[in-house]
Amino acid sequence: MIWKTLKIWFHKLGSAPSFYRFARVVSPWLWFGFAVTAAYGLYLALYVVPPDYQQGDSARILYIHVPAAWQAMFIYLVMTILAIIALIWRIRLTEILAMSCAPIGAALTLVCLVTGSLWGKPMWGTWWEWDARLTSMLVLLFIYIGIMGLYAAFDDRRKGARIASVLIIAGAVNIPIIHFSVEWWNTLHQGATIKLTGESSMDPSMLPPLIWMVISTKLFFGAALLDRARNELLDQDRSKKWVARQVLETSS
Amino acid sequence: MIPELSHASYVWTSYSVFGVIVAWQFIQPLIRRKRLVDSMLEAEAERRAARRNQQ
Amino acid sequence: MIESRTHAAAALFRRDMKLAFRRLGESLLPLFFLFTVIVLIPLGVGPGPNLLSRMAPGMVWVAALLASLLALEHLFRPDLEDGTLEQWFVGERAVYARVMARLLSHWLVTGLPVIVFSPLAAEMLNLPRHALGTLIVSLVIGTPALSLLGGLAASLTLSTRGASVLLSILIFPLIVPLVIFATGAVSMAADSLDPGAHLGLLAAFTILSLTLAPIGIAAALRMNLE
Repeated sequence: MIWKTLKIWFHKLGSAPSFYRFARVVSPWLWFGFAVTAAYGLYLALYVVPPDYQQGDSARILYIHVPAAWQAMFIYLVMTILAIIALIWRIRLTEILAMSCAPIGAALTLVCLVTGSLWGKPMWGTWWEWDARLTSMLVLLFIYIGIMGLYAAFDDRRKGARIASVLIIAGAVNIPIIHFSVEWWNTLHQGATIKLTGESSMDPSMLPPLIWMVISTKLFFGAALLDRARNELLDQDRSKKWVARQVLETSS
Repeated sequence: MIPELSHASYVWTSYSVFGVIVAWQFIQPLIRRKRLVDSMLEAEAERRAARRNQQ
Repeated sequence: MIESRTHAAAALFRRDMKLAFRRLGESLLPLFFLFTVIVLIPLGVGPGPNLLSRMAPGMVWVAALLASLLALEHLFRPDLEDGTLEQWFVGERAVYARVMARLLSHWLVTGLPVIVFSPLAAEMLNLPRHALGTLIVSLVIGTPALSLLGGLAASLTLSTRGASVLLSILIFPLIVPLVIFATGAVSMAADSLDPGAHLGLLAAFTILSLTLAPIGIAAALRMNLE
């Protein structure tokens, strides 16, 4: 029974107009949830957590840096699943969703890199250290940019989405290997430097803001994804009847 | 109100980078949607004008 | 069935080789390019032998990479333009075999000359003599993966605008492990350490790309034709 309603709901959501409506209703709530959780998480991060005994207050960058890094990788996972579905069943909505993941993932990877650099300056004394994690995030950024560039290079959006999906899957196979190889390369060439997010046991007071920021980046991803997918749908279907009904009647 | 921090400039820059990029992810789709809707409305208006001219 | 596939692949391979030999000058351009890169490096960083020999493993590999990148844009493009690519997908559908044949000829034209002339390049860059064997082994194991992943990037960008720039952006993240393992092996050998672990990982990476890349290439080629 539940399964059946779920299935019907899923099929309904798969049609362009109902997804458009769903996204329009849900996205503001996700943005709201993001704002609330991020505000609370950042409040905890700035006011409640005591400064790190080694790194001082610069350790507070962790509450941006780490959630952004985790979310950037999580987005790649979601994007890969969507790409596989898109290639096997050729569902247009999953193609659109997969392609909408890439810019958000790239944005969060960029946040991770910039905050890592800003954290590295007081800790290492340089803006850029060939630290294993930062290096693999840099490679991840290139992969995201490659996916966006490949998708944009096709006039036929659906063709572009499917070909970019092949690249997404190739990247998904490669990312663990890249991560491992960079880590290995790093330990061979550098020996131990101060790691930003160390293996040293985390103080329990650090956990709540981190958790809140992780939740908030998840909500942010959901909201931004729905917004982007909605635009993409509108663009692809600009001459369809449902768009005329949705757009022209509400705005004129 | 604003906490006194060591390495304050680095911390605040990091937080603002996060803020700016998140805000951009919020604003950019809005701008794109506005452009899309505008171009569609324009096309619709042209179509109506053409139809009127024919009659 | 299998026989006709090998037949189709062999025919393609023979044709590619014949073409490569007919345009010998053009085929050897990547090799000349490799040497221009190798000459530029000492001009750029200075001819000090210590500095050069530290950089040599990486530089030979980066030069090999750039050389293989040159020919990639034309890996499938002519077949797309004259319509033969479409014939790959009709009839016996020997796509996989044909892709392998094409990659083999790409490797023979770009990879093999680099391997053959690598002792010369190593000497020019002052690579320690005892690391030369490892350099050659790493090139033998690693350059096929370069052709495979390059082929993947070439097939993805086949019918795009501005394919050449996109191609180099796409290929860079894919080959990061390759460069790390290969240059790592040569550096280890240069420092008189055992390069076995690096070479093993390099071989594993090549085998993985040998199994997966042709599938991706065949899929991407078909999608580009749609």
